[in-house]
Amino acid sequence: MTINNKLWMGLGVGAVASVAIAFGPTSASGSGADSGVHEPGVYTVEDGKVDELTFRGYEAYARSCAACHGPDGVGSSFAPSLVRAAERRGYDEFSRTVAEGMEVQPGQVMPSFADDPYVMEHLGHIYSYLKARADGEVGRGRPQVIEEE
Amino acid sequence: MIRIRHCLAAAAIAAMATTGVQANQSVLDMQDDPELWPTQLGNYAGNRYSRLDQINRDNVQDLVPTWQFSTGVLRGHEGGPLYVGDGRLYIHTPFPNRIYALDLEEDGRVLWMYEPDQDSRVIPVMCCDTVNRGLAYADGRLYLNQADNTVIALNAEDGELLWSADNGDHTEGETMTMSPLVVNDKVIVGNSGGEFGVRGHITAYNAETGEMEWRGYSQGPDSDVLLDPETTLMMGEPVGEADLGVTTWPDDEWERGGGAPWGWVTYDPELNLIYYGTGNPGTWNPAQRAIDGEPADNKWAITVFARDADTGEAKWVYQKVPFDEWDYDGVNENQLIDVEWNGEDRKGLAIIDRTGFGFLLDRETGELLVAEKFAPETNWATHYDMETGRPQVDPEYSTFEQGVDVNTTGICPTAMGAKNMQPSSYSPETGLIYAGINRICMDYEPHETEYVSGQPYVGATLNMMPSPEEAGGHGGLGSFMAWDPVAGEVVWEIDERFAVWSGALTTAGNVAFYGTLEGYIKAVDLETGDHLWQFKTPSGIIGNINTFQHEGKQYVAVLSGVGGWAGIGLAAGLTDPEEGLGAVGVFAALDDYTKLGGVLTVFSLPDR
Repeated sequence: MTINNKLWMGLGVGAVASVAIAFGPTSASGSGADSGVHEPGVYTVEDGKVDELTFRGYEAYARSCAACHGPDGVGSSFAPSLVRAAERRGYDEFSRTVAEGMEVQPGQVMPSFADDPYVMEHLGHIYSYLKARADGEVGRGRPQVIEEE
Repeated sequence: MIRIRHCLAAAAIAAMATTGVQANQSVLDMQDDPELWPTQLGNYAGNRYSRLDQINRDNVQDLVPTWQFSTGVLRGHEGGPLYVGDGRLYIHTPFPNRIYALDLEEDGRVLWMYEPDQDSRVIPVMCCDTVNRGLAYADGRLYLNQADNTVIALNAEDGELLWSADNGDHTEGETMTMSPLVVNDKVIVGNSGGEFGVRGHITAYNAETGEMEWRGYSQGPDSDVLLDPETTLMMGEPVGEADLGVTTWPDDEWERGGGAPWGWVTYDPELNLIYYGTGNPGTWNPAQRAIDGEPADNKWAITVFARDADTGEAKWVYQKVPFDEWDYDGVNENQLIDVEWNGEDRKGLAIIDRTGFGFLLDRETGELLVAEKFAPETNWATHYDMETGRPQVDPEYSTFEQGVDVNTTGICPTAMGAKNMQPSSYSPETGLIYAGINRICMDYEPHETEYVSGQPYVGATLNMMPSPEEAGGHGGLGSFMAWDPVAGEVVWEIDERFAVWSGALTTAGNVAFYGTLEGYIKAVDLETGDHLWQFKTPSGIIGNINTFQHEGKQYVAVLSGVGGWAGIGLAAGLTDPEEGLGAVGVFAALDDYTKLGGVLTVFSLPDR
């Protein structure tokens, strides 16, 4: 980043020293193994950094969702904010919409991702990322990953 | 009077038919008539300049909306209305690609509407909204490229479908958004889909029958590219080596090599050459396009092509960005301008490019004459080597050198480009080019991606931010500028809150017009840039401002309707990605200023 901090209108950059567990019976370990099981909607944030699987959710969002729903889940001129959707919709409804798609009105179509193995594989991670965004625990942009002990 | 003009045009065409048609006579006749706006860019040269001066520097502040028309379609409205002298405006919409003929005598009464039947599954494979850049007209026919790759010809009189041609397959990620151009007896069209690993091509269809006449690909063997290494020129010399469209790619990566020519096409009737640029080379992850770990040129992506309009053969090529590492999609319009260069007259070709550089080339030979930064923050390359025509890339901002899964920060301009598709204007009186530009930078992280037919093939994530003040930014996201294409200098510049994503217009009335993403149409003094007039249309403007004269009265018309990539990237505003939590709303959010909705607004001076 070469941008002068003065540009940011004096907003503090203070590190966020909180850990948040959104919902679900278990908390994520954040150990970031490839095979890690991640309850959809669960995430770990430490010092503003996220666990590996939530980061995967960010990446999958950026690759497959952002083209319509805008950067960081914030929505675009025509597609709704998924940060807000994650506040209001449970994982069942979220995953059903992604898999089945939705015709909001003629010309405004959410496609079905049922045939996209990459998206379907990361659905829970995407939801965790959006939950973390919705809970105000993760800000805009590419999050940092919690380093392993 | 209108009918007479048409009869004359018809007679002229009949005469030409017996002698062999050179250029499209009806388009040539129309572009010579200052009252008309017959092509999306106003003329074949792409100048977007009008000789009308009823509306001028001294009275433009009196301009008022005469009537408005809702298109009934919500998403981003690019392109603009055509006026061919028959008392109507012809407009189009984004998907579902409606076409309207509106009666100027009755404040835009709908004379006919055509709405094609399209598979809605095309919508999600359009990368950046469902935009369409508009109609073409020639010899009583209207031409449009539908989102689903169908090229159609309609009878302008009644909207009857005359023919349709299948130009591609949306289930493989191919779409169409660009405006066709009618040249000679052919309709020239290009495909979209650079984010889906398509193979870009430009195609000529017979204007009367819809039969394919030729197709030139953006990569692959020379026989597909329609390039002869012994005669096609590059930097004034024959290309030399055969099949660079294959050998400058690893393995068979050229088969999904992008290079979609989704921008504007311009044409020089004397040279009988069409000009257009090709898009980004497939995946945004440069490592997947390298050969043995070394950068490879990925020809002919991000390349200006000059092709013979009748055969499609490439006369010359100029690759603006070999081995793209930033998505600097090279489709921006090629303005054909005649200039004085080092004391001699040259047939010039000027580009306000995605890369942040303003280029001037010789349009007969493709020789590079000028390459200078118009956006001061531009940092991915320090300069262009004028001998080789290649950019000197700064390794700090090389996403390839920084590596896969590394976030390269502070690159200017952003992937949106320092200028995107919004077409510029050239005034032959001032010799300057007027353009809306973007002042946005980015962080860019390439990652490995796998090609799956019909799925996004991007391979990079990016964050955008305003151009930093210490690099020349002004805190906002866009500017409107006057550029001297020969000196390679900005003459004046107006700072705007958002990227200026509308097509510019200049007129003999010494006025430049442009639209803003908030929805303002603005008029400024051509010479000084001083603000003269503005009006807030119902939605953000990503369309082009056109002008025409009907029954003695000059009109200015524009489609508003926010959307496009600007509507996706800027809706919620930009933030400092390092800010993390709480960074929402640091920069203006477009969503706070405007909402969806396609509306045509027609302006004129009040009757005295």
